[in-house]
Amino acid sequence: MPYVQTRFFGELEYESESLFRFPSGLPGFEDHRNFVFLKKPGLEPLMFLQSVETRSLCFILLPIRAVDENFRMELTQDEIGEIGLSCERPPVIGEDILCAAMICAGDGNAPTANLMAPVVVNLHNNIGTQVIHPETGYSHRHPMTADAHPPC
Amino acid sequence: MLIMWRRSGESFLAGEVEIEILDARPDRVKLGITAPESCAIVRRETRITQQQNISAALSADASTIETLLRRFSQ
Repeated sequence: MPYVQTRFFGELEYESESLFRFPSGLPGFEDHRNFVFLKKPGLEPLMFLQSVETRSLCFILLPIRAVDENFRMELTQDEIGEIGLSCERPPVIGEDILCAAMICAGDGNAPTANLMAPVVVNLHNNIGTQVIHPETGYSHRHPMTADAHPPC
Repeated sequence: MLIMWRRSGESFLAGEVEIEILDARPDRVKLGITAPESCAIVRRETRITQQQNISAALSADASTIETLLRRFSQ
């Protein structure tokens, strides 16, 4: 199995099902196309999007519904085509697609989640993109307040 | 902020950049932009997302992970 050098967890072996391709890269990192999604026991629900080529490039993400359990968004036909989804029915989060929010905590500020531009990955072919939907009204700096996640 | 009215088919210049109103509808307008190759044209939300991603990559560290885990263990 191939190995990846990770920013937080040293060298890890990964399976091909964990490898995700972003044909357009991610905004700001257009040259980085191959990533692995990492989850670690004890660190859930956090997810780590680690570049396969660049050890230092690793994003922290949260499942979109862990940030906002009522999150709703419609993908455009272009976005559906870009990640090779079938148009027969709307994609289901967790079944057809993984939908996650980038977490940012610059300058010692409290972490915020980018709900305006979630990372969306087709779970059937491991192709992903970051969609940008300002019309939804979701913030690109959604505060991660304690009550954003209701108690179980 | 400079504010001006334009009709469909009219245009204006911003430095070397010409922006023409191709179509105007109640909820959106279609623009045609003519600019030198050196001038990057980008949607504002794309630029915001680029900046947020760069900031996210730089701020992904152990203390951010700890802060997030504390919030989810509450």
